[in-house]
Amino acid sequence: MGKKRRGPSLEELLARPWCYYCERDFDDLKILISHQKAKHFKCDRCQRRLNTAGGLSVHLSQVHKEQLTEVDNALPNRMGLDVEIFGMEGIPDDVLKAHQQRVAMQFQQAEVERQAVTGNPPAGASANGQPAKKPKLEAASDLKKRLAEHRAKRAEALAGGSSGDVTPTSAGQSATPTGFSQHSQAPAAPSPDQHQSFPPTFGSPVAPAFTYPQTHTAQFQPYAANGNQTPDMAGLAQPFVTTGYAQPFAPIPGQPTTYGAPPSFPQQPTPPEHRPSGLPAASNLPQRPSFGAPTVNAHQMQQMHMGHVPHSQATPTHNGDGAFSQSVDDLISGAANAASASKPTEGAEKPAKKDKSKPSGHMIYSHDTISPEERMAELPRYAFVPDNTTETTLGEVPATAVVGAVQTSDTVIDPAH
Amino acid sequence: MSSSPNQFIVASPPSDAISALKFSPDPNSTRIVVSSWDKNVYLYDLRDENGTVGEGKLLQNFEHRAPVLDVCFGEDENVIYTAGLDWNVKKIDLNTSEQTVLSTHEAGVRSVVYSREHNIVISASWDSTLHIHRPDAGANPDSIATIVPLPSKPFSISLTDSRLVVAMASRALHIYDLKALALLSAQADSSLPDANRVEVEPWQRRESSLRFMTRCVACMPDGAGYVSSSIEGRVAVEWFDPSPESQARKYAFKCHRQPAEDGVDVIYPVNALAFHPVYGTFASGGGDGVVSFWDGITKRRIRHYPKHDTSVAAAAFSGNGKYLAVAFSPGFEDGKDDVAEGTVQIFVRELGETEAKGKGAK
Repeated sequence: MGKKRRGPSLEELLARPWCYYCERDFDDLKILISHQKAKHFKCDRCQRRLNTAGGLSVHLSQVHKEQLTEVDNALPNRMGLDVEIFGMEGIPDDVLKAHQQRVAMQFQQAEVERQAVTGNPPAGASANGQPAKKPKLEAASDLKKRLAEHRAKRAEALAGGSSGDVTPTSAGQSATPTGFSQHSQAPAAPSPDQHQSFPPTFGSPVAPAFTYPQTHTAQFQPYAANGNQTPDMAGLAQPFVTTGYAQPFAPIPGQPTTYGAPPSFPQQPTPPEHRPSGLPAASNLPQRPSFGAPTVNAHQMQQMHMGHVPHSQATPTHNGDGAFSQSVDDLISGAANAASASKPTEGAEKPAKKDKSKPSGHMIYSHDTISPEERMAELPRYAFVPDNTTETTLGEVPATAVVGAVQTSDTVIDPAH
Repeated sequence: MSSSPNQFIVASPPSDAISALKFSPDPNSTRIVVSSWDKNVYLYDLRDENGTVGEGKLLQNFEHRAPVLDVCFGEDENVIYTAGLDWNVKKIDLNTSEQTVLSTHEAGVRSVVYSREHNIVISASWDSTLHIHRPDAGANPDSIATIVPLPSKPFSISLTDSRLVVAMASRALHIYDLKALALLSAQADSSLPDANRVEVEPWQRRESSLRFMTRCVACMPDGAGYVSSSIEGRVAVEWFDPSPESQARKYAFKCHRQPAEDGVDVIYPVNALAFHPVYGTFASGGGDGVVSFWDGITKRRIRHYPKHDTSVAAAAFSGNGKYLAVAFSPGFEDGKDDVAEGTVQIFVRELGETEAKGKGAK
């Protein structure tokens, strides 16, 4: 759902008609109504589309002599027939409120993500108004536009100006006003596009660059959910392998971490377990003097942190969000990568092989090697000792009082046979 | 979903959890066999004396010495094969009620399948072997099963007219050529005792596309590929053709999950997979008590049915694709002690004209 919502303002989103039964939203009330007729009020037996659940119920009972008990294709808690829904009419107030709240929440979250990825200011203040998209979706004109912007920024940076409002430092910021105000007080950072000439002594003067608010973690949650944390893939292709990568950088929003262990930086290996313990020590080191350390956007930062060379943006999945580096090279190569990644090649498929060692939820049954049946077979009441020729069944044997097929199992079971 | 008259609850269900349910492959038959942890195999016919399909009746049941884990129909609908915790693979003639032990494994037998094309019975046991039987040699006392060792415990097997897919522990998956297996079993008969244990190189070795334990595997009716499911609410669709183009088509999707309040899904195992014999769509049944229809080719969900209180243990389409039978049992997962009255049920749904039909590509 979130995907479709890029672009329009919150008001527009809230005004969109949506389906009570499945929470899908539509451009137009007419489409919603036809959706409901097709998905929720259609008769299974004769394909007739009714206008409401009540109508379907009457139809079923009159025409097919059946009883409608619940609405098809509906969310589990929305299957009831007690509410009469037609289009947007009839939605209970509490459900409506909950929906609006959810829309607003998703909107804000998307906003934060977009900012994190693009470094663009919040919607409305955005210069191009066009929401950020994945590189592969980006039109050539957009690319050009961004190139132009980038050049302007670069020129500005060279001229010693500040590009504070578009620095990627704001990337991971939460959308809360406090988050922003703290940010605007941060020292203006130099041009963000210098990561390729990244100085080896990567000091911490530009503290805000490292203040990753907690929201940043959430921002990459989709990756975890999509399961791109295949252990075997981690080293090869995927910079973000764990959900916890941002932890070292994420003390408290707005509270700068001094990050002073430059040499360990590029070599930092990927094992996620190490990082949380490895970094706090760094803050014990003396703070380095400030000398033009570049601002690195959240994503690049992370990449480097993961031991990746910043411009090695080779993986398709990664391009999903990652190619939004401010560097032109990256921009172009990223777009190219994304384009090639859209082809269903063997390589592109691997990341789709999700399912990582960590499920995104609570598993009802989780065991590596013992199947549920084996577990069940271990229960005493199912115990069976095959070598024992006597009757070994435990518990009561169900009556075999059925059509003449009473078997005496002794006659047939002979392991020696 | 509407109840009656297109949905029935089969009368006299087993008294304990159901392990397998199969429809007769005969297109016009409405016979089903059900194996259960109550140590019995049940034979039902959904038609009553007047030929009306309804809640059906129990025709026969066959008691075993231990819980029965799988059952399948044989060369016709008067022969069934069973496999169970008594380590035996049995042939049961439904007309005479005669039971013959085909072979004995060294552990519980999880699955049994019959290949009509090659006239062989294949059983898979937790002793990490396959046994290949030639049922027509049953009269021959020298006939012994050919034993094919496997690298891991098999959890589910399925076959097409030419392939056998064996899904095992450690996410291993072997695809065998049935012709080779049939030939082997024919040769093994004439060899010396003990020579019946043969290493067979599978036609293909694969690793499961799913990260978690494979729960079930089912082959497409057109023999082009198979679907597999895991304990982690996921189903993978794959093709046999080893060419990169075909392999690139494989994919997996999430299903049988329920969002919980805290945003963390509850993930259920996908216990059952069954292909529709006509449309090539498939049904999945999960620990959440939901049955869903999918179109594996166009990657679309066709529909899903309302949640049932207990887990789906097995599902099968009738030979002509007109009926779907679903076995509900309290979950295998929690190893609970008691099976409450009325929780073991077999639902039979008469499918509407297009109910299981794919929707076409988007």
